[in-house]
Amino acid sequence: MGLDINTKKLKKNAFRVSKKRGLGASRIRVPGGYLNAEVLGMVQEIAQTYGNGYVHLTTRQGFEIEGIRLEDMDEINRKLQPIIQLLDINQKEPGTGYPASGTRNISACIGNNVCPFANYNTAQLAKRIEKEVFPNDLHFKIALTGCPNDCAKARMHDFGIIGMTMPQYNPDRCVACQACIKGCKSLSVNALRLENYKIKRDEEKCVGCGVCVTKCPTRAFTRSARKYYKLTIMGRTGKKNPRLGEDFLVWADADNIIKIILNTYRFVDKYISPDAPARKEHIGYIIDRVGFEEYKKWALEGVELLPETLVKECVYWSGIHFD
Amino acid sequence: MKNEYIPQLSAIREVIRHTDLEYTFRMEFSGDVKPGQFFEISLPKFGEAPISVSGIGPDTVDFTIRRVGKVTNEIFENYVGDTLYIRGPYGNGFDIDNYRGKELVVVAGGTGLSPVKGVVDYFAAHREEAADVTLIAGFKSPGDVLFKEDFEIWKRSIHVIQTVDWAPEGYEGPVGMVTKYIPDLKFTDIANSSFICVGPPVMIRFTVQEILKLGVPEENIWVSHERKMCCGLGKCGHCRIGSTYICLDGPVFNYVEGKNLID
Amino acid sequence: MGYQLSKPDADRLFQAWTRQYDVFAPVRMEGEGCFSDTDILRYGQVTSLDQILWDQKSDYSMKEVLLSINETLFYFTEDQTTVPGGPRKDLLIFLKACDLHAVKRLDEIYLKNGFEDFYYRRVRERAHFILMGCENTCDTGFCVSMGTNQAEDYDAYMKVEGRQVLLDVRWEALAPDRKSQEPDQDSLSLPSLCQTEVSPDYVTENKEKVTLPRSLSNESFTREIWQEYGSRCIGCGRCNFVCPTCTCFTMQDIFYQDNPRAGERRRVWASCQVDGYTDMAGGHSYRKSQGDRMRFKVMHKIHDFKVRTGYTMCVGCGRCDAVCPEYISYANCISRLAKEEEVPHEK
Repeated sequence: MGLDINTKKLKKNAFRVSKKRGLGASRIRVPGGYLNAEVLGMVQEIAQTYGNGYVHLTTRQGFEIEGIRLEDMDEINRKLQPIIQLLDINQKEPGTGYPASGTRNISACIGNNVCPFANYNTAQLAKRIEKEVFPNDLHFKIALTGCPNDCAKARMHDFGIIGMTMPQYNPDRCVACQACIKGCKSLSVNALRLENYKIKRDEEKCVGCGVCVTKCPTRAFTRSARKYYKLTIMGRTGKKNPRLGEDFLVWADADNIIKIILNTYRFVDKYISPDAPARKEHIGYIIDRVGFEEYKKWALEGVELLPETLVKECVYWSGIHFD
Repeated sequence: MKNEYIPQLSAIREVIRHTDLEYTFRMEFSGDVKPGQFFEISLPKFGEAPISVSGIGPDTVDFTIRRVGKVTNEIFENYVGDTLYIRGPYGNGFDIDNYRGKELVVVAGGTGLSPVKGVVDYFAAHREEAADVTLIAGFKSPGDVLFKEDFEIWKRSIHVIQTVDWAPEGYEGPVGMVTKYIPDLKFTDIANSSFICVGPPVMIRFTVQEILKLGVPEENIWVSHERKMCCGLGKCGHCRIGSTYICLDGPVFNYVEGKNLID
Repeated sequence: MGYQLSKPDADRLFQAWTRQYDVFAPVRMEGEGCFSDTDILRYGQVTSLDQILWDQKSDYSMKEVLLSINETLFYFTEDQTTVPGGPRKDLLIFLKACDLHAVKRLDEIYLKNGFEDFYYRRVRERAHFILMGCENTCDTGFCVSMGTNQAEDYDAYMKVEGRQVLLDVRWEALAPDRKSQEPDQDSLSLPSLCQTEVSPDYVTENKEKVTLPRSLSNESFTREIWQEYGSRCIGCGRCNFVCPTCTCFTMQDIFYQDNPRAGERRRVWASCQVDGYTDMAGGHSYRKSQGDRMRFKVMHKIHDFKVRTGYTMCVGCGRCDAVCPEYISYANCISRLAKEEEVPHEK
């Protein structure tokens, strides 16, 4: 009796058809790339019991357990259950694995759990976004990065969330040592200068990286209580037109960014090409087709931005065109 | 209590231009002051700078200022018919008594002549109070020579070697570092010699080396140190070397003590 | 005189103090740390006992209460100088034993060492100190090694122990049973107040122990230690800024941008580790290498100050070790110097 498998269902269930007949791979999402090490043992067990003993660490910070037999998928889904629960992934029916795979794992840099430069807890926000957007079959890629260094390459994603802080300057604590100026010049965008022995910050130039804060030896520069983000949109790799994401919002808050992402799902649902294979079309191409103005209307629906948030009126993408 | 930080307004009586970069400002001041002491001179809004006294009159003090920084630049630009703020005098200064009856040699480099000029003035005017007096003053080039008129006066009563490090062809005066002239100095009694050495740190170092080679005891040598003295009051810490505050304990040191001042 | 009183009564007493004094104590400044989502512990004005950090060492010392980071010496307009007013109220400063010992060092520089400092004096003579005990040692302090673990010359000692508060008062004005001098108020009603023996908590052993070199001389200037630390130090000055005994400042003159005829002269904390400290007009500077600067600082803390005053400058609070971003341990440096001393030094 030959294998009779619905590969469309299989893919939506977060399995992959491999190049070896009868063998596939099981994909495990890890929002923010942050997990209790306990999960590693569970992945190990599945890989050794059902796979070939090897696991690929995916580019999106998940696991892909290689060499599983497609007929073992139900069994594997049952084995995945404690992992899904530990990582708190939204699910429709326990024991049936992942309910979708189109919206990819939300990836993130290590963030302020560890990194001195990070401006927020990237894993925490990644998990929050995961809870909001998953499961969904639409092909969305979202990445979070702690600061404008963008180690997570958030700008290569449909949505890139870049941590910022609004430097708070207390001139009474400033001794004009210029550590911030030197730091901003060598590590960032050279937005600071000394005037009358106090620091002037070029607000247009400042990218909110927080280097001035980490360099300040007297706590004259501190971080804003509110966490800010830059939202870049529609970066991607791909065959036709790989491109860097462009700034859409600067000095935005997390609540509104999540609203915009959810609005974008509705936008895509409305405008996605009926011919898109497996309803998979890059959002950027959809926006190219219907126009940024129309996208913006949808994206900002019900969004009340902070007064300090800058919105780009027009966004143009360049990148490389192969089509 | 007195607020030592508040400067007094002092009128500029006269400005003597030595070179494009060096002027002497004769300022109103009445009070005790010794050569080698310094004042904090300021132009409000631009800052203070420690400047040595380069001359002492009955109701004036002279400050020879080299235009090298923010404050001195502004002083040069804005002095015309004006006033400056001064506070001081600070520091120990030179004690004339240390040199009375001695075979005194003063070695000065550039503006280093300023702090010691009062001593030279004194012994040039009271030549009989010292056994012998020699001034070796070095400048970079003939165009950098300061106190030209004073040199003419000094030459009448004391030995003066006024040398330049460098001179264009045809220059007739002595050329060479101040250290060149030290080995040739003659003394009646080397134990009764006294040296004062003022100038940039490197110049002091090499000059003292030469002096010691003559067999001069360390305690016969006096040096004056320059540091960034922000307050002049023993508070700001900038002039401290080891346990010594140049502004309080100096700037004039006997070499026995001065040689231990290592930055 | 020692007292015991209930926490609510102590709160009432404290409220009375805040009416009469400006009270400063170490507090937690949330989110103001160097890194994201970290706090900083430093001095601030407090209005309640509960704000005070009793059992942690502040990252920055009490010195910023006595010596403003930026202090305007005077304002100038045309030909006039105007000195800003001093503190309007007396100050109560809560501090630990190490910091109270540090006050003596600040006094040494600002009230003695040449001239008496007008600005320090007018704050200092209105400052009163309330000692907070240490039940346990902090991580980086070595007060026991420095002999600063116990302090005697406090105006009051206070300890919050659950629902009880212990108080030892040496400055009569703070006595809780004292008749109120505010005319519109009767003496405080503190029903739980009773007299008792109170003696301050202090530690007798630290995790960090330091051996001071017996003698230091110019020999120590050539030690490789300085080169090694020099290659690691980034010259940020944090060690100086957190130190309760560092007192250096730099003068700054500024003119107001909207009124260039007016301006001010101020003094601002300075660090001997930061570029520019020794710069003279004309560009000459001393101690250009970080190694020389580290040596300059360490020698002052354990040697040079003592030559001048007869006692060691460092109080062993360990803040410099806790703050150094390059993990340079001053405490270990001292012990290394002491250790090297035992071995004859080779040039």
